[in-house]
Amino acid sequence: MKITRMHGAGGKVMQNLIGDVILGSLSTTQVNGGIGLQDLDDGSTIPIGDNEIVFTVDGHTVDPIFFKGGDIGRISVCGTVNDLSVMGAKPLALSMSFVLPEGFDIEQLKEIMASINLACEEAGVAVITGDTKVSNVSDIIISSAGIGIVEKGKAIRDKGMKEGDSIIVTGNLAEHGLTILLSREGFDMESDLKSDVAPVNGLIQSVLSSGITINAMKDPTRGGLADSLNEMAEKSGLGVTLQEDKIPLSEEVKFISEALGIDPLTVANEGKVVMAIPKKDAEKALEIIKEHPLGKNAQIVGDVTSEHKGVIMETLVGKRVVDTPIGDPIPRVC
Amino acid sequence: MLKKIFVSGIVQGVGFRPFVYNIAEKNNLTGYVKNKGNFVEIIVNGNSNDIDNFIRNLKEEKPVLSKINNLKIENMDLKDLKNNNLSELKDEFKIYSSQNVDNDVAGTIPPDVGLCEDCVRELKAKGDLRYNYPFIACVNCGPRFTVIKKLPYDRENTSMDKFPLCEECQEEYKNPNNRRFHAQANCCEKCGPKVFLTDSKGKILFEKESAIKKTVELLENGKIIAIKGIGGTHLVCDANNDEAVLELRKRLNRPTQAFAIMSTEDKYKLFSEPTELEDNALNSYRKPIVALKKKENEYGKHISKNISNLDTLGVMLPYSGLHYLLFDKCTSYVMTSANLPGLPMAITNDKIIESLKNIADYFLLHDRDIVNRCDDSVLKQISGRMMLLRRSRGYAPEPIEIDFSKNGLLNNKNNNKNNNILSKNILSVGAELNSVACLSKGNKFYMTQYIGNTSKYETYNYLKDAVHNILRLTNTNKLDMIVCDLHPQFNSKKFANELSKEYGTKLYDVQHHEAHVYSLMGDNEFFEPNITIALDGLGYGKDGNIWGGELLYCDEKYDIHRVGHLEEQLQLGGDLSTKYPIRMLFSILSKKIGLEKSFEFIKGYIGEYPELTEKELKLIKMQIKSGLNTSITTSTGRFLDSIASLLSICFKKTYDGEPSIRLEAFANNCSISEKKQILELVENKDYSKYIDYENNIINTTQIVYDCYEMLQNVAFSKNGIAYYAHLTLSHCLVGISIKCAENLNIKTIGLTGGVTYNKIITEHIVTKLKNKGFKVLLHKNVPNGDGGIAFGQALGYILKNEL
Ligand SMILES: [Fe+3]
Ligand SMILES: [Mg+2]
Ligand SMILES: [Zn+2]
Ligand SMILES: [Zn+2]
Repeated sequence: MKITRMHGAGGKVMQNLIGDVILGSLSTTQVNGGIGLQDLDDGSTIPIGDNEIVFTVDGHTVDPIFFKGGDIGRISVCGTVNDLSVMGAKPLALSMSFVLPEGFDIEQLKEIMASINLACEEAGVAVITGDTKVSNVSDIIISSAGIGIVEKGKAIRDKGMKEGDSIIVTGNLAEHGLTILLSREGFDMESDLKSDVAPVNGLIQSVLSSGITINAMKDPTRGGLADSLNEMAEKSGLGVTLQEDKIPLSEEVKFISEALGIDPLTVANEGKVVMAIPKKDAEKALEIIKEHPLGKNAQIVGDVTSEHKGVIMETLVGKRVVDTPIGDPIPRVC
Repeated sequence: MLKKIFVSGIVQGVGFRPFVYNIAEKNNLTGYVKNKGNFVEIIVNGNSNDIDNFIRNLKEEKPVLSKINNLKIENMDLKDLKNNNLSELKDEFKIYSSQNVDNDVAGTIPPDVGLCEDCVRELKAKGDLRYNYPFIACVNCGPRFTVIKKLPYDRENTSMDKFPLCEECQEEYKNPNNRRFHAQANCCEKCGPKVFLTDSKGKILFEKESAIKKTVELLENGKIIAIKGIGGTHLVCDANNDEAVLELRKRLNRPTQAFAIMSTEDKYKLFSEPTELEDNALNSYRKPIVALKKKENEYGKHISKNISNLDTLGVMLPYSGLHYLLFDKCTSYVMTSANLPGLPMAITNDKIIESLKNIADYFLLHDRDIVNRCDDSVLKQISGRMMLLRRSRGYAPEPIEIDFSKNGLLNNKNNNKNNNILSKNILSVGAELNSVACLSKGNKFYMTQYIGNTSKYETYNYLKDAVHNILRLTNTNKLDMIVCDLHPQFNSKKFANELSKEYGTKLYDVQHHEAHVYSLMGDNEFFEPNITIALDGLGYGKDGNIWGGELLYCDEKYDIHRVGHLEEQLQLGGDLSTKYPIRMLFSILSKKIGLEKSFEFIKGYIGEYPELTEKELKLIKMQIKSGLNTSITTSTGRFLDSIASLLSICFKKTYDGEPSIRLEAFANNCSISEKKQILELVENKDYSKYIDYENNIINTTQIVYDCYEMLQNVAFSKNGIAYYAHLTLSHCLVGISIKCAENLNIKTIGLTGGVTYNKIITEHIVTKLKNKGFKVLLHKNVPNGDGGIAFGQALGYILKNEL
C-alpha cells in the first residue's frame, strides 16, 4: 500500500497508519513513567523532580504558504505552542528546522522568519535551536519541536473528561481550514474569512490560574472538532452530546460551508481549544474565556454523558451521529 | 397406529392448533397438538386410513393465514407413548399449552392481519359482545407481530398479557368450535384494552365509545388528531378539508409529499381508478397502502387537491376495528405516520404526546403497548405486477423462502457445503436510506419491518432494536456472518462492526448495486448468468465513486462485472446536490455549453426558490472549476433531478426522491398525442451521439442538453420534454443492455433499484426487451429500492461463499 493524501487528513486512515506502522515499530516510547508516544496525546512528558517537562513536535507543510491571517511560519510556532498549551503546560522554548527547496526566494524566507518572531513574542517563547537543509522538496517544510513545563501530575490529558462535564469551544470554528481550502483552489471571493492561527497559551492560562479544573483539552486542528471530540470520547469511554445551535460559527463560514457542502465540524482550526470542564464551573470558565481576545465567541456546546458512546449532535430535526471524519466526505443521501 | 408429526412454517397465531384439533376429531383420532414455539408437534392415534385422511386435511384445509414449510412424519410405538407418560391421551385429542422453547429451529411469527369479514360484521352488529369495540379480533385476524415480545406466540408473551380474559372471552378461548379458540388477542369491552381521548397535555377528556364519538366529531370539524393504532401512530384529519390538510402540512413541515389516505371499501372508487390487481392488493388481508390513479374529474369533489401533487393517490382501507369506527360522514382521512421526517414514529403514549404536541390538536390513545413498531406497507403497480415500495406491516416478519434447488443450484456443486448453508445464520444490515435488515436462517430470509433513514441517530437505534427483536422472535442465539454495505460512512456499517464483535463473527461487505442484483435474483429464484440494469440514487462504488446507473453482468460464479453505466458527472458538495437538484443541472450543462454560459443560464432561476443567490452560484461555479468537495457520480437519480430543476418542477428535495418522483408525474401529464410524437422521435433517433458503444456509457450530458434546447424553442411542452428525457434514457439503457447481452450470449435481463419504481422508465424498458425476446427479471416480493438491499446482501454472501 502507498501513502495517499488520506493518510495525512487527520481521520481514521491516519489513525490506522500511526497505530500500525509507526507505534508498532518502536519498542520504547516512554520515559520515567511520563506520558509517552503510545498515549497519542498532544505531547509527551518527562517527570523530573516536582515538575514534568512537556515535549512535542510538529511538521508543517501548507499550500499556499502565505494565506489570509497567517503563513507557514506563524503556524509552525502556534501549532507547537498550542500542543504544549493543551497539555496544561507553560511553553518555554522551540526548535525550528527548515527543509527548503532549491530556488526558494530568500525574501520569502525573511518574511516567514519575521512572522515566526512575531508569533514567538505573542506566545512568550524562545527559539533556542534550529537546523536548515536544502532538498528537492516541492515547497518549504518547517518542523518545530517545543518544550514546556507543568507541575508533576498536572498535565491535562485527552482522556480525562468525566460524566457531566460541559464541553466548551473557545471560538468560531473552521476558519483556518476553509481559508486554506479556498485560497488553494483559487476561489477569489470578496470575503472577510481568514485563518484563526494564534497561540492559545494565554487563554488557557487565564482559565487555569482562576483555579478552575480542566478535565480534558485538545486543539481541534486537522479533522476539526469532530475528530477531537471523537478522540476524547473514545479515550475516556464516554460520549458527547452536542447542541447544533450552540456551535460557534461565523456567518461567512456558515454560508461558505453550506454552499460547498462542507461540514464545518470537520474543518481544521489553528487557534481554538475544546475543553471538558466540570459543569459547576462551566459558566464561570466561559466568562473568563470570553474576556480574552481569542475567546470572544466561546460557547458551551454540549456535555459529556455515559448514556451513549461517540459524539451525537442534537439538531432541529433529530439527532445526528458526528463521526470521526475519514478524509474527504462521500455523499450518503440517495 | 401411532404417528408423530412435526409442522413448521406459519403455524402460530393463525388458528393452527384448533384446526388440528378439529380435523383430529373429525377423523376419530386421539392424541395431542403442542405449540413448540417454532413448530407444532402433533401425535395422532387411530387407524391408518383416518391418519392418512388427517394428513391430507392438514395439507389441504389449513387456515388461510397459515403456511406449511415442512411436514415431518414419524412412526411411533404405543410403548413410546407410555414411556412418555402420555397414556391418558388414548381417549381424547388435546391441545397442550406451549412448551418452553429452547431450540434454534427457524419458526415464524405471522404479520399483522387486517380485520376479517366476520369481525367486521360483529363490530357493526348491535347487541354483539364486541359491538363498536375497537380491539375486536379473532384467530383469523388482528395484531400479531406488533404485540409479540417473545416466542411462543401465547397471550402471556404478548402485550395482551395485562388484560386477563373475562368469563365470556375465556369461554370462547377454550371452545374448539369457536372462532376465538386460542385467539391470543381475544378480548372485549369488559376485559380488553380501551381507548381514551386526551388534549395535548395528556389530560383525558373522554373514554371508550364516547372518546371515539368525540374523535369523529372533531375530525369532521377539521381537527388534526394523533391516533395510536395497532402497530403505530397516525396523524389524521379529514382528507376533504383543504384547511385541515394545509394546516397539517404546515405543522409537519411537509410542504409537498403526498399524504396517504384511508377510505372505506364502498367509497374509494369515488376518487380513484384501481386496476384489478391494485384492487386485490388493496383488499387483501395485508391491507397495504396502494398507489392508485386519481380519477381526474371526480377527485377534487371528494379529496382535497392538497393531498397529492402526483398523478396517484396512496390509499388504504381500514384494517382494525378502531379504523372502521372512525368513518361516519367523512369519505376518507389523511392517515400519515406520526413521525417527524426521518425519525421513527412514536409508539408510547408519553412519546406520542411529547413529540406531537405541536402538531396534533388531540390524541386518541389506548392502553395496549405496541411492542414492535410497524409502518404501513406501500405498493404500486408497475409493468403488470404489484411492486413493494415499502414492505412492512402485513408482511414483516414473514420470511421469504428460496428454493436453492431451483435451476439445479444445489446439485451443481459440493454437497457438503450445501447442507451447511441450511444451518447458517446470516445477518445483513442493509444500506442507509429506507433501511431494512435481514436475518437469514438457511433458506429463510426474515426481513425486518421498515426502519427508515439510519443516518438519524434515533433511527439508527431503531435499526438496532429491530435486529435484536428479529433475533429474539426467531430464537437466534448465534450468528455466522454479518453482511453490510461498502460505504465507509454508513451508520449501518458501524452497527455491523459492533455486531461482529458481539457475536465473534466475520464481517463481509457487498457493493450496493451488486446487492440489488442479488436481491433481484433471489426474488425470482433465478440463479443463472444475467445482465441487470440497476438504477437508483446512490451507492458507493468499487472505484470509490458514487454509482447509480449501472449495467451489471452476473456470471456463472456469481461474480458481478460492471459492463456499462451512465456517464460520470460531477456531484457538487456531496448530499447538497441531492437536496438542491439545480447543482446537478449546473455541473452537467457546463460540460456542454461551458462554465460561463451555464452560469448565466442558471442565474435565470434566481428567484424561483429563496436559497438560490448569485453569491452562492459564484461559489458553485468555482467549485465546478476546482473540483473542491465534489464526487463523481453515475446516478440515475441525479440525472433525473437535473431535468426536474431544468423544467422548474422541483428545486428543493423535501422527501426522498422528490424531484424525480414529481418529474415522472409531470411527464405522465403529457397529452397522448404529444407522447406519440415523442415516442416516434425517440425511436427514430441516431444513438451514436447518446451511447459510447465501445464502453457502454450513456451520454447523459447530451440528453440534458437536448432538453435544454427543447426548452428554448417551443415545439414541445414542458411535460413533453420530461417525457422525452425518460424515454431517451430508457432507450439508451435498452440499447446498451441488449448489446452486452448479445456479446455475452445472455438471454435474461433484470431491472432493479429505486428508480425502477418509475413506471415510464421500467415499462418502456420491459416492453422493448420482451419484444426482442429477452426474459425480464423484475421484483415481486422484495422491494426494488434499498428496502431490498439487506436481502441482496445476504444472498450475495451465500451465492459467493456458500454454494
Ligand atoms: Fe439503491
Ligand atoms: Mg491534550
Ligand atoms: Zn376476525
Ligand atoms: Zn372479555
